[in-house]
Amino acid sequence: MRPSFLLRKEFGNLAVIRGTVKYHLSPLEQRAFAGAISQGVPNIFWRFRQSFFYVVPPMLLSYLVYYTAEMEHDRLQRKQPGQFDHEK
Amino acid sequence: MYKASRFSPLTSIIRHTVVTLPTPINISTWWNFGSLLGICLASQIFSGLVLSLHFTAHTDLSFYVVIQSFGDVYYNWWFRALHANGASFFFIGLYLHIARGLYYGSYLFKEVWSIGVVILLLVMASAFLGYVLPWGQMSFWGATVITSLFSALPVIGGDVVVWLWGGFSVDNATLTRFFGLHFVLPFIVAGLVGLHLFFLHDQGSSNPLGVSSDFNKVVFHHYYVLKDLVGACFFIGPLLGLVYLNPWLLGDPENFIEGNPLVTPHHIQPEWYFLFAYAILRAVPNKLGGVVALAAAVLVLFYMPVSPKTSVKGLSFYPWGKMLFFSLVGVFFLLTWAGSKPVEEPYVVISQVLSFLYFSYFALIGPITRIQDKLL
Repeated sequence: MRPSFLLRKEFGNLAVIRGTVKYHLSPLEQRAFAGAISQGVPNIFWRFRQSFFYVVPPMLLSYLVYYTAEMEHDRLQRKQPGQFDHEK
Repeated sequence: MYKASRFSPLTSIIRHTVVTLPTPINISTWWNFGSLLGICLASQIFSGLVLSLHFTAHTDLSFYVVIQSFGDVYYNWWFRALHANGASFFFIGLYLHIARGLYYGSYLFKEVWSIGVVILLLVMASAFLGYVLPWGQMSFWGATVITSLFSALPVIGGDVVVWLWGGFSVDNATLTRFFGLHFVLPFIVAGLVGLHLFFLHDQGSSNPLGVSSDFNKVVFHHYYVLKDLVGACFFIGPLLGLVYLNPWLLGDPENFIEGNPLVTPHHIQPEWYFLFAYAILRAVPNKLGGVVALAAAVLVLFYMPVSPKTSVKGLSFYPWGKMLFFSLVGVFFLLTWAGSKPVEEPYVVISQVLSFLYFSYFALIGPITRIQDKLL
């Protein structure tokens, strides 16, 4: 017997709901993809703007760390003037 | 007419799991990774079974069996490429699945989360064991490096390593037992996945809003069967793209050279999915400290269920928490990059700072979100 059944977590027993108003439309009375382009596409841009300043700054910072580290490593791999003077 | 089959225990389990399962109406693409990981596991088990029909675990034979018979046996090149790249995609799915868990507070399902972390550990072990089997240079030296870490254990370390090796170095005994373990572990993982789902269906899936969705659920079939199918197409497409077009993109050229105990590769490094942990291991100058940090890098996930709770589940409504989370993502990428670099400056200092930042996330995320709870 599934625990979710014991906890009554199945259709017909999900939770005690009061004050619910139910509407029903036949599939023949509705358009399945209403607003998919007219509202969906602008929504993509809205979602992008909402998350831009949370995602982009850390990624930008990470790229700067990577770029700077690679430049610094290349610089340290080069011979510096006077580096081997003490061996003369 | 009475349909007895509807009420049989097996069909009842299947029906309640993938047909009539009450699922939140608003779960997003981040909830696809569970099913994708199931597909990955099935694919790895199947392709692994096919490969095992032609594999011999012996130090004199394994390398040549892999190179030659996988060229001679019909389509074994395909199964090998699928198995090798499938492992990479398995870890992509794992890390994104865990990222979803961290972001949306899924760790509050304590049993599900704990079993999930155990699954992660076993999959990591299985991937490590499997990489040794072709017996290339990186296979041999990766096995030597990682198994030698156990010598850091106080008092018993040396004996543990000899016991693991089955001898005084990584040799034939090690290869044969690694093959056996690599074969068996995925089936244990499969059992744990069943347990993982069992505890998940106890409460039902969470959702991106972090609120109860008991008032707004839909049946799993057709909605999420179709959504999972679409996700599978987007996941399997790039996997097959790699298999057919560039199967060694994520591999190491050293593994095309037979393993040689007398020749140490210039850069010993694991596959990409272990690099973040490898960077953390090398960041600590002390051997035992590094091993502890390596273990802690994964085991820290066990802390999340007991971390300070927020008023609203997940980070969706916590701007500072979100910034910290994406900083963790950046740190993870940088640790992966740092793990591939040689032990030279400035990579050493950067690895140490990044390791500190990685663990700082888990320490700070609770207090930062609670501060916002108190302020607002």
